[in-house]
Amino acid sequence: MLGEFEYLLITAAAALGEEAYGAAIRQEIARTTGRRCSIGALYTTIDRLETKGFLKTWTGPATAERGGRAKRMVHVTAKCVHAAKGFYNAVLRVSRGSSWAVDPKEYFS
Amino acid sequence: MRGLVWTVVATVSNLLESHERDAVCGDLVECGEGAWRSLVDVLGLVIRRQSQLWKSWRPWVAGFGLVVPSSFLLMGLSVSVSGTYLHLTRHLQPSGLTDASLIQLILSFALLLGWSWTGGFVVGSISRRTLWLSSILYCFPCLRCLREFHIPSMSKFCLLLFLAPTILGIERGLRIGRIGLNAALVFAIAITILALPLWSNPAGGNWRHPSPWILSCVLSWPAWYLVAVAGNRTRDALIAQQENS
Repeated sequence: MLGEFEYLLITAAAALGEEAYGAAIRQEIARTTGRRCSIGALYTTIDRLETKGFLKTWTGPATAERGGRAKRMVHVTAKCVHAAKGFYNAVLRVSRGSSWAVDPKEYFS
Repeated sequence: MRGLVWTVVATVSNLLESHERDAVCGDLVECGEGAWRSLVDVLGLVIRRQSQLWKSWRPWVAGFGLVVPSSFLLMGLSVSVSGTYLHLTRHLQPSGLTDASLIQLILSFALLLGWSWTGGFVVGSISRRTLWLSSILYCFPCLRCLREFHIPSMSKFCLLLFLAPTILGIERGLRIGRIGLNAALVFAIAITILALPLWSNPAGGNWRHPSPWILSCVLSWPAWYLVAVAGNRTRDALIAQQENS
Protein backbone atom coordinates (compact mmCIF):
# COMPACT_ATOMS: atom_id res chain seq x y z
CA MET A 1 0.00 0.00 0.00
CA LEU A 2 1.30 3.46 -0.90
CA GLY A 3 1.68 6.28 1.58
CA GLU A 4 -0.08 9.60 1.20
CA PHE A 5 2.97 11.51 0.01
CA GLU A 6 4.01 8.67 -2.28
CA TYR A 7 0.56 8.82 -3.89
CA LEU A 8 0.80 12.61 -4.31
CA LEU A 9 4.22 12.32 -5.91
CA ILE A 10 3.17 9.54 -8.27
CA THR A 11 0.03 11.41 -9.31
CA ALA A 12 2.00 14.59 -10.00
CA ALA A 13 4.61 12.66 -11.99
CA ALA A 14 1.93 10.86 -13.99
CA ALA A 15 0.18 14.18 -14.75
CA LEU A 16 3.45 15.70 -15.98
CA GLY A 17 4.21 12.70 -18.23
CA GLU A 18 7.39 13.21 -20.23
CA GLU A 19 8.11 16.45 -18.35
CA ALA A 20 8.26 14.86 -14.90
CA TYR A 21 11.41 15.76 -13.00
CA GLY A 22 12.28 17.04 -9.50
CA ALA A 23 11.44 20.76 -9.74
CA ALA A 24 8.33 20.21 -11.92
CA ILE A 25 6.95 17.57 -9.51
CA ARG A 26 7.52 19.87 -6.51
CA GLN A 27 5.70 22.72 -8.25
CA GLU A 28 2.84 20.42 -9.28
CA ILE A 29 2.41 19.14 -5.72
CA ALA A 30 2.51 22.69 -4.34
CA ARG A 31 -0.01 23.89 -6.95
CA THR A 32 -2.54 21.10 -6.44
CA THR A 33 -2.30 20.68 -2.66
CA GLY A 34 -1.28 24.16 -1.57
CA ARG A 35 1.48 22.54 0.50
CA ARG A 36 5.17 23.14 0.06
CA CYS A 37 7.15 20.01 -0.68
CA SER A 38 10.70 19.85 0.68
CA ILE A 39 13.52 18.66 -1.53
CA GLY A 40 14.53 16.12 1.12
CA ALA A 41 11.08 14.51 1.19
CA LEU A 42 10.86 14.56 -2.60
CA TYR A 43 14.17 12.89 -3.42
CA THR A 44 14.10 10.31 -0.61
CA THR A 45 10.57 9.32 -1.68
CA ILE A 46 11.63 9.10 -5.32
CA ASP A 47 14.48 6.79 -4.28
CA ARG A 48 12.17 4.62 -2.18
CA LEU A 49 9.65 4.31 -5.01
CA GLU A 50 12.41 3.52 -7.49
CA THR A 51 13.68 0.75 -5.20
CA LYS A 52 10.15 -0.69 -5.10
CA GLY A 53 10.06 -0.61 -8.92
CA PHE A 54 7.33 2.05 -9.03
CA LEU A 55 9.47 4.72 -10.70
CA LYS A 56 12.26 4.76 -13.21
CA THR A 57 14.66 7.70 -13.09
CA TRP A 58 17.48 8.86 -15.31
CA THR A 59 19.60 11.94 -15.84
CA GLY A 60 17.93 14.35 -18.21
CA PRO A 61 19.26 17.28 -20.18
CA ALA A 62 20.89 20.32 -18.58
CA THR A 63 19.24 23.66 -19.31
CA ALA A 64 20.41 27.27 -19.04
CA GLU A 65 17.59 28.16 -16.62
CA ARG A 66 18.99 25.53 -14.25
CA GLY A 67 22.49 26.99 -14.45
CA GLY A 68 23.59 24.23 -16.79
CA ARG A 69 22.69 21.47 -14.32
CA ALA A 70 21.08 18.18 -15.27
CA LYS A 71 17.52 17.15 -14.33
CA ARG A 72 16.52 13.92 -12.66
CA MET A 73 13.74 12.71 -14.93
CA VAL A 74 11.02 10.45 -13.53
CA HIS A 75 8.85 7.85 -15.27
CA VAL A 76 5.89 6.11 -13.66
CA THR A 77 5.95 2.33 -14.30
CA ALA A 78 2.97 0.05 -15.00
CA LYS A 79 3.44 -1.54 -11.57
CA CYS A 80 3.13 1.94 -10.06
CA VAL A 81 -0.07 2.70 -11.98
CA HIS A 82 -1.56 -0.54 -10.59
CA ALA A 83 -0.54 0.41 -7.01
CA ALA A 84 -1.89 3.97 -7.41
CA LYS A 85 -5.23 2.63 -8.66
CA GLY A 86 -5.36 0.34 -5.63
CA PHE A 87 -4.66 3.24 -3.26
CA TYR A 88 -7.26 5.48 -4.95
CA ASN A 89 -9.94 2.77 -4.84
CA ALA A 90 -9.14 2.04 -1.20
CA VAL A 91 -9.54 5.72 -0.29
CA LEU A 92 -12.85 5.90 -2.17
CA ARG A 93 -14.15 2.72 -0.50
CA VAL A 94 -13.12 3.72 3.00
CA SER A 95 -14.54 7.23 2.55
CA ARG A 96 -17.95 6.07 1.34
CA GLY A 97 -20.62 7.20 3.78
CA SER A 98 -18.39 9.62 5.65
CA SER A 99 -19.71 13.14 6.17
CA TRP A 100 -16.89 14.68 4.15
CA ALA A 101 -17.12 12.31 1.20
CA VAL A 102 -18.01 14.18 -1.96
CA ASP A 103 -19.77 12.66 -4.93
CA PRO A 104 -17.17 12.77 -7.73
CA LYS A 105 -19.85 13.99 -10.16
CA GLU A 106 -20.62 16.89 -7.87
CA TYR A 107 -16.92 17.61 -7.36
CA PHE A 108 -16.13 17.88 -11.06
CA SER A 109 -19.31 19.73 -12.10
CA MET B 1 23.86 31.12 -6.68
CA ARG B 2 25.93 33.94 -5.23
CA GLY B 3 26.44 35.22 -1.72
CA LEU B 4 27.62 33.75 1.56
CA VAL B 5 24.55 31.61 2.24
CA TRP B 6 24.66 30.21 -1.29
CA THR B 7 28.31 29.32 -0.73
CA VAL B 8 27.23 27.39 2.38
CA VAL B 9 24.48 25.70 0.33
CA ALA B 10 27.04 24.66 -2.30
CA THR B 11 29.40 23.39 0.40
CA VAL B 12 26.72 21.39 2.19
CA SER B 13 25.52 19.95 -1.12
CA ASN B 14 28.99 18.42 -1.58
CA LEU B 15 27.89 15.79 0.93
CA LEU B 16 25.41 14.51 -1.70
CA GLU B 17 26.28 12.16 -4.56
CA SER B 18 27.41 14.15 -7.60
CA HIS B 19 24.38 13.31 -9.79
CA GLU B 20 21.99 14.18 -6.96
CA ARG B 21 23.85 17.41 -6.18
CA ASP B 22 23.43 18.49 -9.79
CA ALA B 23 19.70 17.74 -9.80
CA VAL B 24 19.07 19.42 -6.44
CA CYS B 25 21.05 22.60 -7.17
CA GLY B 26 19.43 22.81 -10.61
CA ASP B 27 15.98 22.51 -9.02
CA LEU B 28 16.79 25.30 -6.56
CA VAL B 29 17.95 27.63 -9.34
CA GLU B 30 14.99 26.79 -11.57
CA CYS B 31 12.44 27.38 -8.81
CA GLY B 32 14.14 30.63 -7.78
CA GLU B 33 14.23 29.56 -4.13
CA GLY B 34 15.66 31.97 -1.54
CA ALA B 35 19.09 31.26 -0.11
CA TRP B 36 17.96 30.41 3.45
CA ARG B 37 15.10 28.20 2.31
CA SER B 38 17.49 26.42 -0.06
CA LEU B 39 19.93 25.89 2.79
CA VAL B 40 17.20 24.34 4.94
CA ASP B 41 16.12 22.13 2.01
CA VAL B 42 19.61 20.91 1.20
CA LEU B 43 20.45 20.37 4.88
CA GLY B 44 17.25 18.35 5.25
CA LEU B 45 18.19 16.13 2.32
CA VAL B 46 21.76 15.69 3.55
CA ILE B 47 20.52 14.71 7.03
CA ARG B 48 18.05 12.21 5.54
CA ARG B 49 20.77 10.71 3.32
CA GLN B 50 23.28 10.49 6.18
CA SER B 51 20.73 8.89 8.51
CA GLN B 52 19.98 6.30 5.80
CA LEU B 53 23.69 5.52 5.51
CA TRP B 54 23.95 4.76 9.22
CA LYS B 55 21.31 2.05 8.95
CA SER B 56 23.95 -0.05 7.21
CA TRP B 57 26.65 -2.05 9.06
CA ARG B 58 29.42 -0.59 6.92
CA PRO B 59 30.09 2.80 8.56
CA TRP B 60 29.88 1.22 12.03
CA VAL B 61 32.39 -1.48 11.16
CA ALA B 62 34.66 1.05 9.43
CA GLY B 63 34.52 3.51 12.31
CA PHE B 64 34.42 1.44 15.46
CA GLY B 65 35.62 -1.95 14.22
CA LEU B 66 38.58 -0.70 12.26
CA VAL B 67 39.52 2.98 12.59
CA VAL B 68 39.47 3.31 16.39
CA PRO B 69 41.27 0.07 17.35
CA SER B 70 43.69 0.06 14.42
CA SER B 71 44.78 3.68 14.85
CA PHE B 72 45.92 3.00 18.44
CA LEU B 73 47.67 -0.23 17.47
CA LEU B 74 49.30 1.24 14.37
CA MET B 75 50.61 4.17 16.39
CA GLY B 76 52.19 1.64 18.75
CA LEU B 77 53.75 -0.19 15.83
CA SER B 78 54.92 3.12 14.33
CA VAL B 79 56.76 3.93 17.57
CA SER B 80 58.22 0.43 17.68
CA VAL B 81 59.51 0.70 14.09
CA SER B 82 60.89 4.19 14.72
CA GLY B 83 62.57 2.96 17.92
CA THR B 84 64.20 0.05 16.11
CA TYR B 85 65.39 2.42 13.37
CA LEU B 86 66.88 4.85 15.92
CA HIS B 87 68.55 1.99 17.78
CA LEU B 88 70.13 0.73 14.56
CA THR B 89 71.32 4.12 13.33
CA ARG B 90 72.68 5.29 16.71
CA HIS B 91 74.23 2.22 18.22
CA LEU B 92 75.40 0.07 15.37
CA GLN B 93 78.42 0.39 13.18
CA PRO B 94 77.98 -0.13 9.40
CA SER B 95 79.23 -3.67 9.91
CA GLY B 96 76.27 -4.25 12.20
CA LEU B 97 73.81 -3.80 9.35
CA THR B 98 73.72 -7.52 8.82
CA ASP B 99 72.33 -7.86 12.32
CA ALA B 100 69.00 -9.61 12.73
CA SER B 101 67.49 -6.36 14.00
CA LEU B 102 67.86 -4.84 10.53
CA ILE B 103 65.78 -7.68 9.11
CA GLN B 104 63.34 -7.19 11.94
CA LEU B 105 63.14 -3.48 11.09
CA ILE B 106 62.45 -4.17 7.42
CA LEU B 107 59.83 -6.81 8.22
CA SER B 108 58.14 -4.58 10.81
CA PHE B 109 58.10 -1.66 8.40
CA ALA B 110 56.63 -3.87 5.65
CA LEU B 111 54.00 -5.09 8.10
CA LEU B 112 53.20 -1.51 9.13
CA LEU B 113 52.80 -0.54 5.46
CA GLY B 114 50.63 -3.58 4.71
CA TRP B 115 48.34 -3.20 7.72
CA SER B 116 47.99 0.56 7.24
CA TRP B 117 47.30 0.35 3.52
CA THR B 118 44.78 -2.51 3.69
CA GLY B 119 43.01 -0.89 6.66
CA GLY B 120 42.79 2.42 4.79
CA PHE B 121 41.60 0.65 1.65
CA VAL B 122 38.77 -1.10 3.50
CA VAL B 123 37.75 2.13 5.27
CA GLY B 124 37.69 3.97 1.92
CA SER B 125 35.75 1.25 0.14
CA ILE B 126 33.07 0.50 2.76
CA SER B 127 32.44 3.98 4.14
CA ARG B 128 32.72 6.28 1.14
CA ARG B 129 29.99 8.68 2.15
CA THR B 130 30.69 8.48 5.87
CA LEU B 131 34.40 9.01 5.42
CA TRP B 132 34.14 12.35 7.21
CA LEU B 133 33.33 10.50 10.44
CA SER B 134 36.02 7.88 9.89
CA SER B 135 38.50 10.75 9.41
CA ILE B 136 37.41 12.35 12.68
CA LEU B 137 37.75 8.97 14.41
CA TYR B 138 41.31 8.70 13.04
CA CYS B 139 42.08 12.18 14.38
CA PHE B 140 40.97 11.68 18.00
CA PRO B 141 43.39 8.86 18.92
CA CYS B 142 46.20 10.60 17.01
CA LEU B 143 45.69 13.91 18.83
CA ARG B 144 45.38 12.20 22.19
CA CYS B 145 48.55 10.15 21.72
CA LEU B 146 50.45 13.15 20.33
CA ARG B 147 49.55 15.06 23.50
CA GLU B 148 50.64 12.26 25.80
CA PHE B 149 53.75 11.15 23.93
CA HIS B 150 56.88 11.84 25.98
CA ILE B 151 59.93 9.96 24.70
CA PRO B 152 62.76 12.51 24.59
CA SER B 153 64.81 10.67 22.00
CA MET B 154 61.94 10.45 19.51
CA SER B 155 59.93 13.00 17.60
CA LYS B 156 56.19 13.01 18.24
CA PHE B 157 55.66 12.46 14.53
CA CYS B 158 57.07 8.94 14.89
CA LEU B 159 53.54 8.09 16.05
CA LEU B 160 52.12 9.05 12.69
CA LEU B 161 54.30 6.82 10.54
CA PHE B 162 51.22 4.79 9.62
CA LEU B 163 49.27 7.80 8.38
CA ALA B 164 50.74 8.15 4.86
CA PRO B 165 50.08 4.51 3.78
CA THR B 166 46.64 4.70 5.41
CA ILE B 167 45.74 7.83 3.42
CA LEU B 168 47.04 6.20 0.23
CA GLY B 169 44.91 3.12 1.01
CA ILE B 170 41.82 5.25 1.62
CA GLU B 171 42.38 7.08 -1.65
CA ARG B 172 42.66 3.79 -3.57
CA GLY B 173 39.66 2.35 -1.76
CA LEU B 174 37.59 5.38 -2.70
CA ARG B 175 38.75 5.28 -6.28
CA ILE B 176 38.59 1.58 -7.20
CA GLY B 177 36.49 0.11 -4.36
CA ARG B 178 37.86 -3.44 -4.64
CA ILE B 179 40.94 -5.29 -5.81
CA GLY B 180 41.27 -8.51 -7.80
CA LEU B 181 41.33 -11.91 -6.07
CA ASN B 182 44.97 -12.62 -6.90
CA ALA B 183 46.22 -9.28 -5.60
CA ALA B 184 44.05 -9.61 -2.48
CA LEU B 185 45.40 -13.11 -1.80
CA VAL B 186 49.01 -11.96 -2.22
CA PHE B 187 48.41 -9.09 0.23
CA ALA B 188 46.65 -11.26 2.80
CA ILE B 189 49.17 -14.11 2.69
CA ALA B 190 52.13 -11.72 2.82
CA ILE B 191 50.66 -9.85 5.78
CA THR B 192 49.84 -13.08 7.61
CA ILE B 193 53.36 -14.46 7.07
CA LEU B 194 54.91 -11.19 8.21
CA ALA B 195 52.70 -11.24 11.31
CA LEU B 196 53.50 -14.88 12.21
CA PRO B 197 56.39 -14.00 14.55
CA LEU B 198 53.91 -12.01 16.66
CA TRP B 199 51.90 -15.15 17.39
CA SER B 200 54.82 -16.77 19.15
CA ASN B 201 55.56 -13.62 21.19
CA PRO B 202 54.30 -14.11 24.77
CA ALA B 203 54.42 -10.38 25.64
CA GLY B 204 51.35 -8.38 26.61
CA GLY B 205 48.03 -9.67 27.80
CA ASN B 206 46.12 -6.75 29.28
CA TRP B 207 44.02 -4.00 27.74
CA ARG B 208 46.83 -1.43 27.72
CA HIS B 209 49.28 -3.84 26.16
CA PRO B 210 47.19 -6.35 24.21
CA SER B 211 48.58 -9.73 23.32
CA PRO B 212 50.35 -9.67 19.97
CA TRP B 213 47.93 -12.19 18.51
CA ILE B 214 45.01 -9.83 19.28
CA LEU B 215 46.94 -7.01 17.61
CA SER B 216 47.56 -9.29 14.65
CA CYS B 217 43.88 -10.28 14.33
CA VAL B 218 42.57 -6.71 14.62
CA LEU B 219 44.99 -5.42 12.00
CA SER B 220 44.94 -8.39 9.62
CA TRP B 221 41.20 -8.83 9.12
CA PRO B 222 40.94 -6.06 6.48
CA ALA B 223 43.35 -7.99 4.24
CA TRP B 224 41.22 -11.16 4.54
CA TYR B 225 38.05 -9.12 4.10
CA LEU B 226 39.44 -7.94 0.74
CA VAL B 227 40.03 -11.61 -0.18
CA ALA B 228 36.45 -12.51 0.76
CA VAL B 229 34.99 -9.61 -1.26
CA ALA B 230 37.16 -10.41 -4.28
CA GLY B 231 36.29 -14.13 -3.95
CA ASN B 232 32.55 -13.41 -3.87
CA ARG B 233 32.86 -11.18 -6.89
CA THR B 234 34.82 -13.79 -8.82
CA ARG B 235 32.28 -16.49 -7.90
CA ASP B 236 29.36 -14.26 -9.01
CA ALA B 237 31.12 -13.52 -12.31
CA LEU B 238 31.66 -17.26 -12.90
CA ILE B 239 28.01 -18.06 -12.14
CA ALA B 240 26.87 -15.30 -14.51
CA GLN B 241 29.23 -16.62 -17.18
CA GLN B 242 27.88 -20.16 -16.79
CA GLU B 243 24.29 -18.93 -16.99
CA ASN B 244 25.00 -16.99 -20.18
CA SER B 245 26.77 -19.88 -21.90
